[in-house]
Amino acid sequence: MAEYSTVGKPIPRLDGLEKVTGQAIYGDDLKFPNMLYGKALRSECAHAKILNIKIDKAGRLPGVRAVVTGKDTPFLGGEALMDYPFLAIDKVRYVGEPIAAVAAIDEEVAEEAIDLIEVEYEPLPALLDPQKAMEPSAPLIHERMNTYKHLPVIKPIENSNICHYIQFIKGDVEKGWDGSDLLFEDTFTTQMVQHGAIEPHMAIAQVDPAGKITVWVTNDSPHRLRMDLSNAMGIPLKRLRVISPPYIGGNFGGKGGLKVETICIPLALRVNHRPVKMVLTREEVFTASLVRHPSIVQLKTGVKKDGRIWAREAKVIYDTGAYAEKGPTVCQQACVAAVGPYKIPNVKVDGYCVYTNKPIAGAYRGYGIPQVAWAHESQMDIIAQKLGMDPVEIRMKNVVGEGDISPTGQQKLHSVGLKECIKKVAESVDWNRPKEKYRGKGMACAFKNTKTPTGSSAIVIVSQDGSVEVLTSTVEIGQGSKTILAQMVAEELGVPVENVIMVTPDTDITPFDASTTSSRSTFHMGNAVRRAAKDAREQLFLIASEILGEDSEDLAIEKGLIFSKKNPGKKLTITQVIKHEYQAGLDIIGKDSFYPIAEGETGGMWSAPSIFWMYGAHYAEVEVDIETGRVKILKISGAHDVGKAINPSTCQGQIEGGMVHGIGPTLFEEMIIGERGEVVNPSFLDYRMPAAPDIPEITSLIVEAPHREGPWGAKGIGEMTVVPMAPAIANAIDDAVGVRIKDLPITPDKILKALKEKLVRK
Amino acid sequence: MKHLIHLKINGEPYEVSVKSNLTLLDLLRDEIGLTGTKKGCDTGQCGACTVVLNGRTINSCLVLAVDANGKEVSTIEGLAKDGKLHPLQEAFIQEGAVQCGYCTSGMILSAKALLDENLTPKEEEVKKAIAGNLCRCTGYVRIVKAILDVAKRLGG
Repeated sequence: MAEYSTVGKPIPRLDGLEKVTGQAIYGDDLKFPNMLYGKALRSECAHAKILNIKIDKAGRLPGVRAVVTGKDTPFLGGEALMDYPFLAIDKVRYVGEPIAAVAAIDEEVAEEAIDLIEVEYEPLPALLDPQKAMEPSAPLIHERMNTYKHLPVIKPIENSNICHYIQFIKGDVEKGWDGSDLLFEDTFTTQMVQHGAIEPHMAIAQVDPAGKITVWVTNDSPHRLRMDLSNAMGIPLKRLRVISPPYIGGNFGGKGGLKVETICIPLALRVNHRPVKMVLTREEVFTASLVRHPSIVQLKTGVKKDGRIWAREAKVIYDTGAYAEKGPTVCQQACVAAVGPYKIPNVKVDGYCVYTNKPIAGAYRGYGIPQVAWAHESQMDIIAQKLGMDPVEIRMKNVVGEGDISPTGQQKLHSVGLKECIKKVAESVDWNRPKEKYRGKGMACAFKNTKTPTGSSAIVIVSQDGSVEVLTSTVEIGQGSKTILAQMVAEELGVPVENVIMVTPDTDITPFDASTTSSRSTFHMGNAVRRAAKDAREQLFLIASEILGEDSEDLAIEKGLIFSKKNPGKKLTITQVIKHEYQAGLDIIGKDSFYPIAEGETGGMWSAPSIFWMYGAHYAEVEVDIETGRVKILKISGAHDVGKAINPSTCQGQIEGGMVHGIGPTLFEEMIIGERGEVVNPSFLDYRMPAAPDIPEITSLIVEAPHREGPWGAKGIGEMTVVPMAPAIANAIDDAVGVRIKDLPITPDKILKALKEKLVRK
Repeated sequence: MKHLIHLKINGEPYEVSVKSNLTLLDLLRDEIGLTGTKKGCDTGQCGACTVVLNGRTINSCLVLAVDANGKEVSTIEGLAKDGKLHPLQEAFIQEGAVQCGYCTSGMILSAKALLDENLTPKEEEVKKAIAGNLCRCTGYVRIVKAILDVAKRLGG
């Protein structure tokens, strides 16, 4: 195998020093002269008409500079379906929806002013149950849904609360049932959970005298946000500038789309060019940012006696809350993977993305796949048990491999390391050792796609002394993109990684990138920076070839030294090369883009074929206290196919972090919605996330099934690492005490109830 | 109403006039400009604002600035001495214990308070010491390892 200078090496993160010294700058650390502070008045009703809003008193409060309502912001935005008002227009659709906003000289005055705004509501029936919201007689949450603009792939059902319906069919499930020896039918549900990034959302908006709007914002995708704002407000891109703070304090999907800037911008437009800053409180983050879709997944599966899956049908309902956000594409992507990473001749999937009067659901680490994996991996163990097969064996028998057709039939799969993941995980934990009382082991596997197609551009600037600046719009959200992109540039350009500087995204400066989402940055931006670095290297070689009298093809570069492969004594520094050509000073600028399209049957952009798939398998070992129903996780292990680990240390960090992230929604995390549609537990005290004492022994393993189009074979990883955790734990619990919990989270009371029912049955 | 308070922050004396309801966290971040201490919830539940006040770790969002009068505060900015990182800072970088970094300041200060009292902590004691510092990125694995490594190095 080729030896690389930095690719594949576990170098420490380049942003580590700034972060451990408290010098890393985040959104809330930004402060500008003459800055005002914004606050929003939020709906107390889950569903109501707004009859009247009185803002006079608030406007008269000393220190208040602007008060705005939906009347001032007649915009609708949204990536998938444009249904999202910046401030509520005529009606409210969830508790916490912003209705009005105030800009004032400080936060205290802004808060006081918010209390002076009076809203008169006419309550409407609140729809909190997605199945009821789907009924034809249900009142409409969006009466004008038919008029909303949307992506071609999105199919809203007219006069209903279903904002997207999707169907995939392969083979014939009806015939498949006939050909099966055994049928299994189960329904699995998941609860509402939240991303839980420790940094709350913020934005600062400022309007210059020419009308250009600049936004500093904790968003994972500056160019996409600029596009979304442009589309919603009907203004050209040149009038919008989105700047990322140097660092974002965690994302997990929660910081994409329209969020706080839609409140700051209307205020900034009215305060004579003063910047307006707004930071969400933790309670606002819980109630009015984003959540993971609660889901209902009905799974019917037909199997042959030997364990082969012969047919599988999934009906998937995703509760997207009050606005579509990315719900429709979450539902779409999840449906492509809903039957699991298996070779199944007969498949049918029906997916429904449904409006309710609840917090908005959207992208969340895994993009809908954790919910369907919860279903198919739980059911795999139910099937294995019935057949008397080992859970590893039944999976190995059915999982997809290189060249197999994707389960919903659109494409031939490439770079498939799933079997290796399962094997590695099983080996890491001594899978076949004897069982102990009240202890159990479980495993689960899954796969995940990436939104396709999407594009990335990059610019690599080589300065006279060999310093390299890389312009990309990939946002450092904690995943380590700064480090691995710098590694890839250093490798391709032949310079030490310490010489590479990653520029913070700014839509006026850094070129287009679709998003820092979908686990796409390593693959997409990785290719873009690699190509741009190659472009710069070739320009350097061209000049060097003249100086050295050698062909460009015979040159190489290592540690910033360009040399002839034939006559290694002939060498030049980057400085010598650039100075030779541009004595008075100039940079070498490499640039390129990457926009891969997956081959396969497609229903248009973002419909089904994915340029790469990630694969992974998790193991969990638990002990269940049958007196209290408490589950103690003793050990977890996870193996993930990343194509090629550009930085094994950051890859393992993702796997460990993702697995622990996955424990929360499995055992205790749940956003509880009250009768009035309110979030009952909007705080870290009442919404418990895993803390250090909750973590068991953890093993993280890397599998590399190189992708032919990946940079050095690399794919992605971030999202997959959370996906198989819940079913692995549920399968371990069942192995320990023989109860099967099908609705998340698996709380002690559910286990006790199931244990009791089991006793009664006996 | 404003109060004149005197306190030491990272060894330096400060005289500040503060409102009665100003928290120590907002004093540090907004008045002094030490933004390394982070605000994650402002209600004492996430630990991102952890600082050391007279030798004890506290959530600075739960302490009023006036109550820090006459006391000594240590924040993340004061940890490196003469350009040399504290061993915990070194270890956090080397072990990959940092991802998004928002919990890092508080996490390191909680760890420092532990090691200042106990240089031979068991793994469970380390986990307990940082139990009030939430991290959503790392799964705590490398954080715990970094702290144990430093303890081993310093405590033998």
